[in-house]
Amino acid sequence: MRPAGRAQPRSTRLFAGIALGTGLLVLLTQTPALAGPRGTLKGLAAPITAVVTHAVDRVDAGLGLLQDAGRQRADNHKLQAENRALKRQLAELQAAGRENADLRQALGFERSFGHRLLAASVIARSPDGWTRSVTIDRGRAEGIEPSMVVVSGAGLVGRVTDVGQHSAIVQTLVDASSRVNVYTALSGLDATAIGEGGLISMAVLPKPGVVAEPGEWALTSGIGGTYPRGIVVGQVAVFHRRDSATLETAELAPANDFGSLSTVLVIRDWMPAR
Amino acid sequence: MLIPAVLLQVTLAPNLSVAGAFPNLVLLAVVGWTLVAGAGSGLRWALAGGLLLDLVAPGPFGLHALALAAAAYAAGWCQRSFHADRLLLPFATGGLATVGYNLVLLGVADTIGQNVVLLPALQSWVAPAAVYDAVLMPAAFLLLRGLDACLPQRSAAPG
Repeated sequence: MRPAGRAQPRSTRLFAGIALGTGLLVLLTQTPALAGPRGTLKGLAAPITAVVTHAVDRVDAGLGLLQDAGRQRADNHKLQAENRALKRQLAELQAAGRENADLRQALGFERSFGHRLLAASVIARSPDGWTRSVTIDRGRAEGIEPSMVVVSGAGLVGRVTDVGQHSAIVQTLVDASSRVNVYTALSGLDATAIGEGGLISMAVLPKPGVVAEPGEWALTSGIGGTYPRGIVVGQVAVFHRRDSATLETAELAPANDFGSLSTVLVIRDWMPAR
Repeated sequence: MLIPAVLLQVTLAPNLSVAGAFPNLVLLAVVGWTLVAGAGSGLRWALAGGLLLDLVAPGPFGLHALALAAAAYAAGWCQRSFHADRLLLPFATGGLATVGYNLVLLGVADTIGQNVVLLPALQSWVAPAAVYDAVLMPAAFLLLRGLDACLPQRSAAPG
């Protein structure tokens, strides 16, 4: 150890000032009343991040070509996309099979994929592990509003939180503050999917003698009105059964690979219940 | 220096994910500069870098500035309290600063009403991120020290 110099009180005062100022700024700008200006301000950086993302993608593709892997990777992405689409169809079939007795529900499920959609490119990702979000290149000018639901070909991505003029921030399902009410396609268990900063866990309402099997799909239940019913969320990976627990838990493998999302679809004609 | 770091943080860094964690380039720059130039200079970098990060991150403004300032202050304490070692001090400071930075993010998020589940968060991304940043910090430190040597003489006033 060496003795601290005179710099300590000076830097302590500076730190105290910054902490006080930024703390007040956090409290002020997190209020719903300032959501509009906040989104506009955050949208200012979007054009620059879009250019950098494009450049990073080009460099990445160039390196891939140098390694003679570019084509294989593109094929792989295509196959992965097809695989995800097939998985989604399987989930739809599982859900439809369970609800076959109730034609209206099945038709409602079909209709949930018949919404008006707006395609958007991912231009940036969240800078930290706590907020798992993506920034898209569509904003208020293109009709995007806060709380709109965002999907991909594979399933649910999340919902819009901040909207700028030509960009928007989307909170993904793996974000640690994300909560989505779901049901399991075959066993019909109701649960809440909870983001854990990269993973998704499920708090499941137990039903006597009913267990969700690994591989079973979880879809949005529509309960709470935040998301429309019937969008694929993920696949049960592990189900933890505890006889004495009021809630059972499970781990969910997300339908989307949030690290490699490049294009998403915003549902334009469905808004959450107020 | 900070603007490229922020832009690369939201574009390139998430592609470098290992075990669910990715490096925080802005944190590396701020903590590395604090070890090179002292707490005062590091805190100014933290404020600037944090506000830039807040511009591209979801949520309220000031959150990342506050978290980076805490990391810089902790790094400044380490820099003053221990003899500089080319590898060990930056390595240890990088890990500690990452933990401090993320704990501030979690604490503020909890305070403003977001759902925080601490233990899974620590396990799934804070700990891997701390290891990731600790491994990269010596390189960042050496780079910034080289940069500092190339720059005109800074003010002799302590940080």
